[in-house]
Amino acid sequence: MPDLFTRISALADLAIQGRFGADKGVPGVTLSLRTPSCIVTVIARKGKAKAVADALKAMRGAVVQWAGPDQYFVLEKPYDELSKKLSGIASCSDQSHGRIIIRIEGPKVRQVLAKGSPVDFHDSEFAIGKSALTQMAHVGVHVTRIGKDAFELSVFRGFSESFWEWLTEQAEEFGYQVV
Amino acid sequence: MTGFRLTAGGLIDRDTALNFTFDGKAFAGHQGDTLASALIANDVHLMGRSFKYHRPRGVISAGSSEPNALVEMREGGRKVANTRATMIELYDGLIARSQNRWPSLEFDVGAVNSLASAVFVAGFYYKTFMWPKSFWEKIYEPLIRRAAGLGVASKEPDPDKYEKAYAHCDLLVVGSGPAGLMAALTAARSGARVILADESSALGGSLLNENEEIGGMSGLEWAMATLAELSAMPNVTLMPRTTIFGWYDDNIFGAVERVNDHVLEPSPYEPRQRYWRIMAKRAVMATGAEERPIVFGGNDVPAVMTATAMRTYANRYGAAAGKSIVVFTNNSSGQRTARDMQAHGINVEAVIDARLKDDVIVNVKGGKRASAVELNGHRVIPCDAVAMSGGWSPIVNLMCHRGAKPIWNETIAGFLPPDVGPAFVAAGSAAGHMLLSECLADGARAGTMKGKVPAVPKCRDEAFAITPLWWVKQSTGKAFVDYQNDATAKDLPLAAREGYRDIELAKRYTTAGMATDQGKLGNVNAIAILADATGRTMDQVGTTTFRPYYTPVSFGAMAGPFVGHHFQPVRKTPLHDWAEELGAVFVETGLWMRSSWFPQQGEDWLAAASREVLATRSRVGLCDVSTLGKIDVQGADAAEFLNRLYCNTFSTLDVGKARYGLMLREDGIVFDDGTTSRLAADHFLMTTTTANAARVMSHMEFCHQAHWPELDVQYVSVTEQWAQMAIAGPKARATLQKIVDGMTLDDTTFPYLAAKNITVLGGMTARLFRISFSGEHAYELSVPADYGNMVARALMQAGEEFGIAPYGIEALSIMRVEKGHVAGGELNGTTTAGDLGLGKMMSTKKDYVGRMMAQREGMLDKDRQCVVGIRPHDAQDKIRSGTHILNKDDAPSMAADQGYISSVAWSPMLNMWLGLALLANGRARHGEVVKLFDGLRNIHSHGVICDPVHYDKENKKLHA
Repeated sequence: MPDLFTRISALADLAIQGRFGADKGVPGVTLSLRTPSCIVTVIARKGKAKAVADALKAMRGAVVQWAGPDQYFVLEKPYDELSKKLSGIASCSDQSHGRIIIRIEGPKVRQVLAKGSPVDFHDSEFAIGKSALTQMAHVGVHVTRIGKDAFELSVFRGFSESFWEWLTEQAEEFGYQVV
Repeated sequence: MTGFRLTAGGLIDRDTALNFTFDGKAFAGHQGDTLASALIANDVHLMGRSFKYHRPRGVISAGSSEPNALVEMREGGRKVANTRATMIELYDGLIARSQNRWPSLEFDVGAVNSLASAVFVAGFYYKTFMWPKSFWEKIYEPLIRRAAGLGVASKEPDPDKYEKAYAHCDLLVVGSGPAGLMAALTAARSGARVILADESSALGGSLLNENEEIGGMSGLEWAMATLAELSAMPNVTLMPRTTIFGWYDDNIFGAVERVNDHVLEPSPYEPRQRYWRIMAKRAVMATGAEERPIVFGGNDVPAVMTATAMRTYANRYGAAAGKSIVVFTNNSSGQRTARDMQAHGINVEAVIDARLKDDVIVNVKGGKRASAVELNGHRVIPCDAVAMSGGWSPIVNLMCHRGAKPIWNETIAGFLPPDVGPAFVAAGSAAGHMLLSECLADGARAGTMKGKVPAVPKCRDEAFAITPLWWVKQSTGKAFVDYQNDATAKDLPLAAREGYRDIELAKRYTTAGMATDQGKLGNVNAIAILADATGRTMDQVGTTTFRPYYTPVSFGAMAGPFVGHHFQPVRKTPLHDWAEELGAVFVETGLWMRSSWFPQQGEDWLAAASREVLATRSRVGLCDVSTLGKIDVQGADAAEFLNRLYCNTFSTLDVGKARYGLMLREDGIVFDDGTTSRLAADHFLMTTTTANAARVMSHMEFCHQAHWPELDVQYVSVTEQWAQMAIAGPKARATLQKIVDGMTLDDTTFPYLAAKNITVLGGMTARLFRISFSGEHAYELSVPADYGNMVARALMQAGEEFGIAPYGIEALSIMRVEKGHVAGGELNGTTTAGDLGLGKMMSTKKDYVGRMMAQREGMLDKDRQCVVGIRPHDAQDKIRSGTHILNKDDAPSMAADQGYISSVAWSPMLNMWLGLALLANGRARHGEVVKLFDGLRNIHSHGVICDPVHYDKENKKLHA
């Protein structure tokens, strides 16, 4: 469902394109905003964990990220559609405007993440597609690995400016770009 | 040799000249030097004054155990006190100053203390400055602190950045000497993720400063080849300049990496230091062994140092401690020192090996630098430096950080690390292996993750044997046990005589083992002397407690990046931009920035808030209430879940309606309140107070998981999804009507406490609630966060014809006091529902959290303090929050206290100050005149108790 109204991201004024920090050739990390059309929290109802997992697996076009025991963030599927499809087996809550997703990728991505989170993001421990709930700089972060050296960091909208400032400061020593 | 810089050898770059100053005097050194080695090469041994006696002091060690050569580094905001000259890497432009001296290092007035040393024995301060008691804080302590201080901290802000970081590995190796390198190499070759950390600027440990032979090459060449192999492996992280300072639960290690302490100024993009938490599946303590001084007269005279330090300055740094030296030893280290020094062309005047003859040094002559040693037979040997070796102490600290005690070993005359299980093992000389071949084999064993231990390269061993000599009792000069605290050998028997026989008590009494070095050099000698004085063995005396940090850690590193405005994250509401455009003044509420008032030209906060109240009460106002916690509660048992959480009932709430709810703690005290709406049979939207949002969520998780896992209920915070605004006042409905789609708002379509999904502005999803905190006819409207500013602007435009005004939480707070609504001041963790006047909400038909405990006698006592209204007796008076309430004729006392004022506000509606108070048996006292006592400001006045609802008692406006 296309948005009828213009959405103004909380990071609209901060996430400005360009190269920043130290100049050491290739940027250590590249930051961008991912603005999915929808973000919905899906929590399995009692005894329906498997049914929900199966239903989500079979759902085309949905991006499903683990977000706690029997709980998911489902991206790119409207709340109304999901609520209908999962009616009786899951509770859905629209979070499309409540979270900001920052994509961070590049050769130094793990060094940057290690400055905030105690989670082990090493390739052997954190496979592509895996998600974790953690904290960075006192802010709750939902992290998902989306590629070889690429992660998504999802935070509450209200913390996003503060988090962006912290994140970019941590990336400065490697040099970073915003696209 | 020119001066004291050896002509060849060492790991220094002789082609670079690095200029630096010490106490304002200019010197030069080389890349690879430490401040200590560069000063020694410049024939400077006097680097500091001692703590108590202000004795001239030079370096004792060449590493992190250094007790004497403590200096102030850098200037301005970058200044740092008590840094060890032995650990400071030299850089061009370095500025260092000696400390604890006045007026200068060469001539220090405080040195007169030394003449009076007979009175300055251990316990002197405790015994002398006992009375009068009032003198301690104001006179004695500041005086003593000035005389016996360390460096002075800067009061300017530190311009540099600090970071925190986490690391993970299969094997953490602490120390990069032969055992550490071998352990790291063995584990790395088997594919394990390895971190090798060392506090020194370069990896290699003792192989950087000793002449060894491994695998047919020099020890140094072997170390470099091994490090080259390690650094090429992707599974290995090398961390030089990194001190592992503590061992914690779950095999987590704390570390500080000195990223940029070795440059003049860090790049603006890089931190000065980084504070690490390293999670290690296994760890190896290959920290080596520390050489001990011998306790003899004058063992603190500058240019007296440990034998290893002297070898290190010569072998690693190409700096000669002297031109003719005397070696004093009780173990094999002496011969090795003599051999190395001779190889550098330094005269070895004598090797006094206490194992061979009865010769011992009783005093070192010379004030600011050693000039001769005096032996027990009055023989005097001129020299300009003395190397001493009292044996070796394995560096066991890390393994003892969680409470285990080290174990005495007679053969090496040292304490060995305790067995703390397979996840953390010691290797090499840290484990008491004194031969190089043993260290390599032990390292390989410790680094074997599974399977067979690989063979290690062959090497040349130096024999090791020791006969303890702790204290030369015949000493004629002062013999120091603990240099940093000026504790002498005689202090320990004194402590024992005065009853402080326990090593922990003796430590506190003599101060041996305290301060920045924590007795790294002196503790074992202190234990031995105390053992001798009390007729006990080393085992029986034991060690003091080892605690983190191994070496001092700067506050900057601990604070990391969380300083200034980064101290805590800032949380902004979706209406922040809208409020900012209208000139809002923001206030921190928890982490949130909330719009507090919207001043117009010349208005202070009270004028602005008063105008906002008048506008809202007479026309219409708009307030950002997005910070209230919003929790989606869903599931077949959602209503039952809420019934158990709240003291009032929610299962009877109709779909499309909202209800005020009150939550109690398990102990019956009120926890939180808010309105909860039923959006569908199995879908509620709970709101919480701003302050308690996260706590309520945890409370729900706990209750669900621990008490009622059988309930089919799901809940998640949706606070950030919605921008929420209150539209209040007589013109609220008319304003709102202009943006609501396809519905006429009236008391039938949208009665009081209606809560419905609607659309606004031609199709935007929204939720509308007819609820009121202000007491006015009011609504709360929620729209998706990204649209918040836009909708708020649209409402302002819609309300323009009615004279709409934005209002902040100051105005909100005034209006709630006028209406007698309880908030944080009353929901303060001491009040029951009854105290708040909400006792009737407590259902008698169901069970809920806090029900039983709320029935306790004391919770129902009629004399409990309960909420009342309060006004000044003289309407011109101001009343203040926190003021105590007394009976009219009582004098202020704890016993006479009747309660206190919990909230106040200037009421623009009633033109006076109003308040809410908690007053004993308050509901029976409406109309009573009471005494008000504000002890903080010493204000005495009178007030009148009244009903808490000050304004519009009949709630006419709410339903208007």
